[in-house]
This record gives sequence, C-alpha cells and structure tokens, in this order.
Amino acid sequence: MKKFAFGCGGILLVVTFIAVVLAIMVMGKYNTLVKLDQSVNQSWAQVQNVYQRRADLIPNLVNTVQGAANFEKSTLIAVTQARASVGRVQINPNQAPTSAEQLQQFQAAQGELGNALSRLLVVAERYPELKANANFQQLQAQLEGTENRISVERGNFNQAVQAYNTAVRSFPTVIFAGMLGFSPKPFFNAQPGAEKAPTVNFDFGNSSPGPAVPSPAGTP
Amino acid sequence: MIRLGRLLCGVLVFGLISSLGRAETLPSKPGRYFNDYAGIVDPSTVNRLNETLAQFERDTSTQILVAIYRTMQSESSVADYTQRVAQTWGVGQKGRNNGAVLFVFLENRQMFIQTGYGLEGALPDAICFDITHNVIAPRFKTGDYAGGLEAGVKAMMQAVRGEYKGSGRTNAEGKETGPGLPFGIVLLVFLLIIIVMSRLQRKTRRGYGYSGWGGPYIGGFGGGSGGGWSSGSSSGSFSSFSGGGGSFGGGGAGSSW
Repeated sequence: MKKFAFGCGGILLVVTFIAVVLAIMVMGKYNTLVKLDQSVNQSWAQVQNVYQRRADLIPNLVNTVQGAANFEKSTLIAVTQARASVGRVQINPNQAPTSAEQLQQFQAAQGELGNALSRLLVVAERYPELKANANFQQLQAQLEGTENRISVERGNFNQAVQAYNTAVRSFPTVIFAGMLGFSPKPFFNAQPGAEKAPTVNFDFGNSSPGPAVPSPAGTP
Repeated sequence: MIRLGRLLCGVLVFGLISSLGRAETLPSKPGRYFNDYAGIVDPSTVNRLNETLAQFERDTSTQILVAIYRTMQSESSVADYTQRVAQTWGVGQKGRNNGAVLFVFLENRQMFIQTGYGLEGALPDAICFDITHNVIAPRFKTGDYAGGLEAGVKAMMQAVRGEYKGSGRTNAEGKETGPGLPFGIVLLVFLLIIIVMSRLQRKTRRGYGYSGWGGPYIGGFGGGSGGGWSSGSSSGSFSSFSGGGGSFGGGGAGSSW
C-alpha cells in the first residue's frame, strides 16, 4: 500500500516536471512569435507609408501635367481613377493582412496605379515643354524615388513574413502556434505587369540627338 | 511527415531564391570616404575631399561617401543595386541612419545618390536630382570629373549640415585604441623588438657578460614604441572610413550624363 502511494507520487512528480518544462518551452516560443509578428506589422506599416507617399504625390503631378498644352486627357483620367480605387481598398495600416485575398486586392489596386503612372510618364516624354519644366522634373525624381522605396519596403516586408512563417511552421512550434492564434501570413508576389512598369527608364539627362516619337498633339 | 517534407521543400526553394539574388557581386566595404576605383580624379583632390568628408563626420556624425567604379556589376537598375550596396556597407550611424553615398559608374555614364532613412528630410529626392542633374552632370559632360565631384560633395554637405550633431570623432577613430595604430601591428612590433633584443643580448652576453643590461634594453624599447610609430601613422595617411550600421530605404535620385 505504501509502495503504491510512493509510486503514484513519483509519477505525479515526473508528470509535473515535464509539464513545467513544456510550459517554459512554449513560453519561449510564444515570445519569439510575438516578436516576429511585431516585426511583420512594423514592416507592413512601412509598406503602407511608402504607398501613401506615392498617392500623395499624384495631385501635384496631375496639376503640373495638366498645365502642359493639350496633354492627353485619357492618361490623366486613368491615373486619377486608379488613385481613387487605391483609396477604396482599406487595410489597417498597423496590422499586416492575414488573408491572401486581402493582400491580393491591395496589390492589384496599387499595381494598377503604378501602371497608370508609368504610362503617364511615358506619354510625358513626348512633350518637350513638360520635359523642360523644372517642377515636372522634380516630381519625376520624387516619383522615381518613391517607386524605389516601395520596392525596398516590399522586400523588407517579405523578409519579415518569411521569418515569421518559418517560425510558425517549424516543429515543434507548429503544434501550438495555431492554438495561440498565430497563423502563416501572406506576402507580396511579383506581378509580371505591375512589377515591371515602374522601372521604365526616364533619363532626361541623356537626350538623344534623334527626335523621339513625333508629338501627336501637334505643336500650336 | 508531409509537413516536414513541405518545410524542407520551402527551405530548399528559399535557399535557391536567395542564392539567385546574390548572383551579382556587391563591392566590398570601402576603406575611405572618397573612393576612386576608376582612377579619374587626381590624388591630391582625392586626398583633400577624403579629409573634408572625414571632418564632416567629426562635425555632424553624418557619413557621406563617394564611390566611383568603372562599370556596374549588376543586371539590375542603378537605384535598386546601389540601395543594396549602401545597405550592406552600413553607411551612417545606427539609429540615426544618416548616411549618403554618391555612386558613379563611369562606363554606364550613370550616377546615383542613395540617402539613408535619416537624411530623407534634408536630402530629398528632388534635391538629389538637382545635385546630380544640374551640379555634377554638366561638369562631367565636359570631362571635368574632379570639379563635378567636388561641387557635388559640397552641395550634399551644404544640404545636410545642421541636421545632426557630431561627436568630434569619426567611427574609425572612435574604435581605435591609442594614437591611431591597430592593435595587431602594435603587438607585431612589440614581438619583433623582443626578438631582436634577445638576439642582441645573446651576442653580447658572450663578450661582456650580464652587467649593465637593464638600462639600454628598456630605453631602446620605450623610444621605439612611443615617439617613432605614433607620429609616423598620423602624417600623410588617409582618414579611414568605418560604417556605423545605418539603413537605406531606397531614397535618393540619380541621372546620367
């Protein structure tokens, strides 16, 4: 009888010991996950930041371009519309999107705006008056810089998500990550159209001697 | 098991992607502020601008670098490539991120100013563009590389001055102990002297014996380490650059000429 009681106590002790060790381990992993989750959210805020920066440049750009004589109306309208549709896709700037569709939507809207903008810049190449405009040159430099920032921040965001997802999916964290509310997050994927568009080369210091596309607007 | 397989697969793919991304060569960290790897600027100007930029870090803690290469070793765009290079070099102080690098690729006829996060306010893209397009490029077009770079560096410093306060030392100076000699060299010299001394001692011991050895030994050693070496290192050498770990977010602008 006494022997049995001792055995029971021993088992209890071992079980408690294992439970404590497990709890400590889970706590450690949990803290790591929280940290990684924070860094994903932080880089998401940066992504939103740079996209916002681009959106903020647009009114100024449109105004400047409008000043140029006979500027193609359709490209301007496309930019304004894309800008408006970007505004409609609202994602919490402080929390990274959790569903792939949400991010996809965001990316599609931003990609459309990127395309419209690069089209505008290509069209602008045909207007010497615009190309020589110092204000427009500055806007172009700012826009270009913003596109660079976007690609950098998207890269940083993807890296943060990569680190987080790896932690969530690796053993043994994968067993309890879901229970604690940590699920893998979606990241940006390269969109063939949207990705290429902003890297259009608009070097105006390198003015070629041969005339480019003849102006369709006709010089007044 | 399936999960494990998926994980392995993911790791493999990730490794593949990251190795693909590193197919280009990122140039190694420069040792100076003004780095003319293409040999287009005369040494005295290089020296002068290097010292100017070192002094600028002492005054403002802001690190401005110039790096001139013959060609760009990448398929990527200048903006993208130079961002990664500047980020790897860690130009600017950690936390302040106040670094800027002017890259010039001679044969590509392109240049780009990369600004760290902390300088995006003082050196916005429009100013960077103005500097490369209106200050540097016109001089480069006439072949006046030294003049263009000097004017560009001055313009950058003027834009940034007043944004941050300096500590009176550069990173490289802050790290070193003593009068500016790396510890390794000091140790080497010390060992050499000991070896030479012990040989001398052995030689003379045969002739004269022990008497009177303590004096000249200590005296010779002290003179060699104290006076001679420290003065030799400070005159006529470059101020060296050491990155503080600043980050770059892709800000800046460039132009071609």
